[in-house]
Amino acid sequence: MENIKLLIVDDEEEFAATLAERLELRGFSSKSASCGNNALEVLASNFSPDVVLLDLKMPDISGFEVLIEIKEKYPSIEVIMLTGHGAATGGKDSKERGAFDYIMKPVDINELAGKIKAAYLKNA
Amino acid sequence: MTTTFKKKLTHFLSIAFFLMDKSRSYRRFRLMFSGVMFVIIFAPLVIVTGLSSFEYRELLLKEERSQLYWNAEGAQKTIEAFMAKLTSVVRFVSKDRGCDDLLDQYVVSKLLVNLKEEYPGFVDLGVIDHNGIQQVYAGPFRLEGYDYSDQDWFSKVLAREIYISEVYMGFREIPHFVIAVSFKIPDKEEYWILRASIDYEKLQKYISTINTKASQDIFLVNHDGVLQTRSNMFGEVLEKYNMPSKPEKGKITINVSKLDSVSYLKAYAYIKNTPWIMAIVKEQYIYGDEWSSFQFRRRLIFIGCSLLALVVIYQLVNFVTDRLRESNEKRDLLMVEAEHSNKLASVGRLAAGVAHEINNPLAIIDQKAGLMTDLFGLTEDFKHKEKLVKSIDGIHNAVERCKVITHRLLGFARRMDVVYERIDINALLQEVLGFLEQEALFNHIYFELVFDENLPMIFSDRGQLQQVFLNIINNGIDAIGNDGEIVLTTSSKDNATIDVSICDNGPGMNSEIIKRIFDPFFSTKEAGKGTGLGLSITYGLVKKLGGHISVDSEVGQGTTFTVSLPVNFTQD
Repeated sequence: MENIKLLIVDDEEEFAATLAERLELRGFSSKSASCGNNALEVLASNFSPDVVLLDLKMPDISGFEVLIEIKEKYPSIEVIMLTGHGAATGGKDSKERGAFDYIMKPVDINELAGKIKAAYLKNA
Repeated sequence: MTTTFKKKLTHFLSIAFFLMDKSRSYRRFRLMFSGVMFVIIFAPLVIVTGLSSFEYRELLLKEERSQLYWNAEGAQKTIEAFMAKLTSVVRFVSKDRGCDDLLDQYVVSKLLVNLKEEYPGFVDLGVIDHNGIQQVYAGPFRLEGYDYSDQDWFSKVLAREIYISEVYMGFREIPHFVIAVSFKIPDKEEYWILRASIDYEKLQKYISTINTKASQDIFLVNHDGVLQTRSNMFGEVLEKYNMPSKPEKGKITINVSKLDSVSYLKAYAYIKNTPWIMAIVKEQYIYGDEWSSFQFRRRLIFIGCSLLALVVIYQLVNFVTDRLRESNEKRDLLMVEAEHSNKLASVGRLAAGVAHEINNPLAIIDQKAGLMTDLFGLTEDFKHKEKLVKSIDGIHNAVERCKVITHRLLGFARRMDVVYERIDINALLQEVLGFLEQEALFNHIYFELVFDENLPMIFSDRGQLQQVFLNIINNGIDAIGNDGEIVLTTSSKDNATIDVSICDNGPGMNSEIIKRIFDPFFSTKEAGKGTGLGLSITYGLVKKLGGHISVDSEVGQGTTFTVSLPVNFTQD
């Protein structure tokens, strides 16, 4: 499988870094962003990920807003919501806004890898 | 409505509501309300019935008296006219015939024959001179020369010109009366007398013709109370009649007396120029058949109205009390539900916050431990590697347990939001059991799951369904207490409905309890332990989700709740 590029957006930097490291061990390449605006900046620079892992609750703007903007500007990028927040309508709302999936933290790394691959294959 | 009445009514209602709020004394309210309604309806009914009866009676009495008065007046006039006619006949004879004719036996006998032809009541005729000696006599007896000078009537007729006697036997031995007129002998200053005896039957017949249907009896009586004609009620002629008091002269006197417990109206009137008093007797209408049948009808109507009123009061009181109870219970239920859901919402928000806060560090722990595992996998064996790997597995397991807890908390929080989605009921029941497992195990209660593997997914609200099953299973656990079994069965009759039955082997319930089990505030748990709302809320939730819930129970055999839910629930 070719190298899948990821953007991990999470204000918990420790989590993002560890997740990135583990995913890299599984053949993914990744960048991290610590908040919503940061994520949009990264996307605006020359980095173009295949899949974005996006937290919902962040200090600046919410994951939903970021999701909407990504889907507007970069419709080919798939977004997987990865959050510790458990609103009942989270999954439904995310999917309505174009997210590929909605996963609750903590998540099994292999399950996550599987979802990322599925998201990547959707556009392949 | 007066202010006082309004105040009283408000006071009454406030007492009523207070009573209901505080002690739920609907029975007392029902009694009070019935009492008030009873008074409101019956007081006017009794007053109106009584008054109308009294007024009607008074009117009848008045009417009856005046009716009798007119009757008596009519009869009095008729009798007076009859007597005047008889008198004028005798007087005519005395005036028409000359004195010489009247002294001629033949002429007098001929006169009697003629009179008898015209007026069959005439018995004899006699001519009496101024000394009281009967000079001429025509009739069935031999009375010529009879001396009447010492008799009372002789002087009366000389003084008054006309005299009508009472009815008496005399030596004729038949009741009769006498009409005597005096006439002047020409050329002499002497007054002689023409005297005619008339059979009382003549009078009797005449009186009898007057007797109308309007009265029971009509008769003549003299001033001393001796009957002058036959009375239907008081005896034969010349018998004594007990007259209460003499009537007023020139007036018709009416009084009331009782005979054999029947009340009679009696009217008395003097007959002019005679020694007689006419009496008319009439049974009082008030004591007659018609009046009693009127009274009977009146009572029947009153009883009918009363029964109707009682039925109306009963129904109305029941209706109002039931509505009041229902609305009170609904209000209380709504308040408690609101409080309950407020509490749940607060707890839910708290739980969601906690879960979220914990999930993030938990995710870090998970990832860090995962990274360690990953790295160990890339590293050659070293001392304690195996032990470290096991420790990390321990961390993983702990994280997994925490994850179950936080996800469950989030699931609980989610129940606050109503979301319709496709739900696998088998999985949902498993989740619910997850909440109760610990408590059940502690009490040695075991769950047996008989799940239909092909159960269709249903479209419903997860949170509310969780609450429904949580309540029912919780009740089962409470009912069993210790050592028991709860069997959960899912099935689908058709593709439109699914059934979930929850069967416990607890003590069961009798039919009285089953009837009330879904009533709000009804609880069989000891005071303070249950709110009596669990099943009521459950019932409401199931209804809201388009399903229905039924219960089947037998004392000593356990209880089965069956919840039926539509596969495709559409909200109205």
